[in-house]
Amino acid sequence: MKMSKKHKVIIYGLLGLFSLYFLLPFVWVILSALKTQAEVFSFPPKIFPKVPQWHNFVDAWNSQPFGTYLMNSVIVTVMTTLGQLISCSLVAYGFARYDFKYKNILFVLLLATMMIPWDVTMIPLYMEFNLFGWINTLKPLIVPAFFGSAYYIFLLRQFLMNIPKDLENAARIDGANEFQIFFKIFVPIMKAPLILIAVLNILLVWNDYLGPLIYLQDQSKYTLALGLAAFKGVHTLQILPIMAITLVMIVPPVVVFLFAQKYIVEGTSGSIK
Amino acid sequence: MKLVKSILSVAIASGLLLAGCSSSSGNGGSDKTADGKVKIRFATWDVGDDVKLQQGLIDKFNETHKDINVVLEAYGSDYDTKITAGMGAKDAPDVMYMWNYPQYKDALEPLDSYIEKEGAEYKDNFYETLWNYNSVDEKVLGLPVGYTTHVVYYNKALFDQAGVEYPKAGWTWEDLQATAKKLTNKETKVTGFAFSGKPDPYDFEMYLWGNNAAYVDKNGKLKGNLDSKKSVDVFEMFQKMEKSGIAITSEGSGDTEMKSGKVAMFVYGAWGLTPLKEAGIDYGVVELPKFKDGKSVSILSSSGISVSKDSKHKKEAFEFIKFWTNEEANKARIAFELPVLKSVVKSEKLEQDELRSVFYSMLEKSDGYTPSSFIVDDWSEVSDNLNLVFEQIFNPSSLMDPKKALSSVVE
Amino acid sequence: MFGKSKKANSYQLVGRKVPYLFISPWIIGFLVFTLGPLAFSLVMSFFDWPITSDATFIGIDNYKKMFTNDPQFYKSLWITLKFAAIFVPLNLVIALILALLITQPVKGMKFFRTIFYMPAVVSGVAISIIWGWIFNSEYGILNYILSLIGIDGPRWLIDPKWAILTIVIASAWGVGTMMLIFYTDIKGIPAEIYEAAAIDGASPLRQFISITIPSITPTILFNVITSVIAALQQLTLVILLTGGGPLKSTYFYGLYVFNNAFKHHRLGYASANAWFMFIVILILTMIIFKSSSTWVFYENEVKKEGKKKK
Repeated sequence: MKMSKKHKVIIYGLLGLFSLYFLLPFVWVILSALKTQAEVFSFPPKIFPKVPQWHNFVDAWNSQPFGTYLMNSVIVTVMTTLGQLISCSLVAYGFARYDFKYKNILFVLLLATMMIPWDVTMIPLYMEFNLFGWINTLKPLIVPAFFGSAYYIFLLRQFLMNIPKDLENAARIDGANEFQIFFKIFVPIMKAPLILIAVLNILLVWNDYLGPLIYLQDQSKYTLALGLAAFKGVHTLQILPIMAITLVMIVPPVVVFLFAQKYIVEGTSGSIK
Repeated sequence: MKLVKSILSVAIASGLLLAGCSSSSGNGGSDKTADGKVKIRFATWDVGDDVKLQQGLIDKFNETHKDINVVLEAYGSDYDTKITAGMGAKDAPDVMYMWNYPQYKDALEPLDSYIEKEGAEYKDNFYETLWNYNSVDEKVLGLPVGYTTHVVYYNKALFDQAGVEYPKAGWTWEDLQATAKKLTNKETKVTGFAFSGKPDPYDFEMYLWGNNAAYVDKNGKLKGNLDSKKSVDVFEMFQKMEKSGIAITSEGSGDTEMKSGKVAMFVYGAWGLTPLKEAGIDYGVVELPKFKDGKSVSILSSSGISVSKDSKHKKEAFEFIKFWTNEEANKARIAFELPVLKSVVKSEKLEQDELRSVFYSMLEKSDGYTPSSFIVDDWSEVSDNLNLVFEQIFNPSSLMDPKKALSSVVE
Repeated sequence: MFGKSKKANSYQLVGRKVPYLFISPWIIGFLVFTLGPLAFSLVMSFFDWPITSDATFIGIDNYKKMFTNDPQFYKSLWITLKFAAIFVPLNLVIALILALLITQPVKGMKFFRTIFYMPAVVSGVAISIIWGWIFNSEYGILNYILSLIGIDGPRWLIDPKWAILTIVIASAWGVGTMMLIFYTDIKGIPAEIYEAAAIDGASPLRQFISITIPSITPTILFNVITSVIAALQQLTLVILLTGGGPLKSTYFYGLYVFNNAFKHHRLGYASANAWFMFIVILILTMIIFKSSSTWVFYENEVKKEGKKKK
């Protein structure tokens, strides 16, 4: 399909405009991370650092055991993503492709769990994890993911609802059992939304701050997000390390996104609809 | 409906089960380390290099105490959220940093009997004023670790450029305003003075003290105190500075504005000493100005170290907090915290230190005042209301008349 | 019903259990990790619990106080609803426009896609510092840039009139997640449908309205519901960027609950607040869901109804 020149100009114009909004604060972060303290705060603002302070990154990284934090973050992110993918695909499939008793009540309940105010359930949950002996371990961050999260289940269900019913009926007639239908037919169809969920979950868990803050205690268990927040005290704000670590922390999720794009672009087209 | 019923009953059962756990003392995880030592959890709000230093001190303690193992937990700016959650779940750290005693008093172990055993000399070596700030209802709830009084920071370069003399102790608020006026320059965007546009009511009370007023009387009554003539005068003075353009209000405490090098003076604690230096500001500090018929007096922002009431190892915990406040520890923290022991101030010659001596002379002038937060029962709520009113007075979009604003809140 | 004739029904019996097997992970997780804490907080809403000491039962006093004796409750509720009313539609439209933009087959799209997505990756601590810098009225970057072109910028974070908008601008920065969800769904629409429409002479706008939108109604429903929830529970940004100010103009409900719990240590009262919002969101969601039967089209249901009609 060919595009008219006018059409292209409009598209690039819009892209440029939005890029400004999304990119400029970033550029500022990058430039700031390379400045000296004095340059960061000076007014009128200096756009470029006189001499790029690359050592800011090294200093920030070495100021806390970030190697350990990275390790913990990777463990939590990988494990929760695995857990979410397995459990959410099963549960969403159950809700989207079957009719069963109490389905509506259960689905409303599922949706309701998205609305639970964490402020007031956090303390009882803490007690529960404490009872299990899980406080100051990564378990409270990982284990619940293996039971699925309503957000992803709901999202996946919306995708699955949009697939014609004939698909599994044909397979049933061919004698496939329910789990074969799920694994052989639906898992491949769900590839794009599942990758989307992986991307979203990585993003969420990678930056999760409150969970680790409440359930972890000593530094050997900290995640990157906690390490980043630890540059902010009650009266102090160490801007340079915050900017530097922020930039470092962005890299893994963006790399994941770059890879994931390819599969999302391929989409589900062709196989269904 | 059967399903709904069974879910409900399971819910209620599990809710009650958890409620049960909360009232029993809970097991608090493992309280012994693998090698049979007593484990003491110590929570700090400090960040960065400060934490490294604290870990070093703790390592030293652990080396010399074969039966105790102290573990550091650093929570930074969300310290309150974290320890509140811990207290709610009956899993608070054994030892924790503390400043807001009135709010946490029921969760802390009174230390008077422990301190008595150390002898009178032990207690006397701390500055007296600090004990007031670490006690509630005549009970000592924490050992003083550090403190800061508030002083005026001034940017030497801006003073030099304008050819204005540096301020000296004993100056008055009139002097400050005159100085600020000379320094303010619309062309270069320089402003003479900056103060918070929504000041923390805890901090702001010191100005009222300086003008012989306070938020409340001994019985915690606002009426007739917060809205007294002398109180209103203080607010009017600050508002006037803002209106006339010789001062700006800050979205924060004024430190960001100070760091930009465009503000000549602001009031801050010892927290500013290092960050301002790092931001390349050549500054001096001077005592707070006096009020015409009043004084120069500062509130204390003090930090102490407390033992949790629920701790199972209070003896060991006290052993540790004693170590944490001894001379050696005071000296080790000297770069981050103003020492609280007279003997250390003397041996380190801090009273001759150009910058730090100012904080100590402010400390001596500020004895005998009790912040309203220690008097009023529900300070956190009162403080919230005051905060809003102060903002109404100083926010440039409202600039409410102080007298009207203050009398609205005392009702 | 069960056990009438076991043999004959054995296949059906398995069949009946199958859906529950599929959803069992979530049911177990719900019973273990969600139900207890949820019930606990409901129980606590009838207690006075200052956290540092024991809880005492006070019946419905928390609810009574909330509805009759706490002006801030209504104020925060109103502000939050106002914010949601601006934020939800705006975010949806921007996300949809962006999703459409990044499906356009022009050069360099992979680059733009990544840029649009990147802000969603930045953690809350950094976001608040960045926007704090940008919006600082005296020495901020935005007003500096505006001053260069001769505009006297507003006091973004000080003037109550501008503060909510500031929060909207800052939170829309993270629209990348929603964009990606739309994008994934749009990419799933078979190209043949568009090609057929193009041959029939349908304009791009026409194609968008009659092909794209109907195909993605399920994800629109998802994004509407989740962004309503997100807007009504917004906390991170206000806590870090404005602290509820100026003049409590951004004192959102989420912050109100949080402060009642962790600043004022009134966990029982905070539980009552939280349960009220929980019910509000639940009702809103149900309404949206009920309405969805008129505007959301699922392929599998379309087919089912078609069969029924036959």
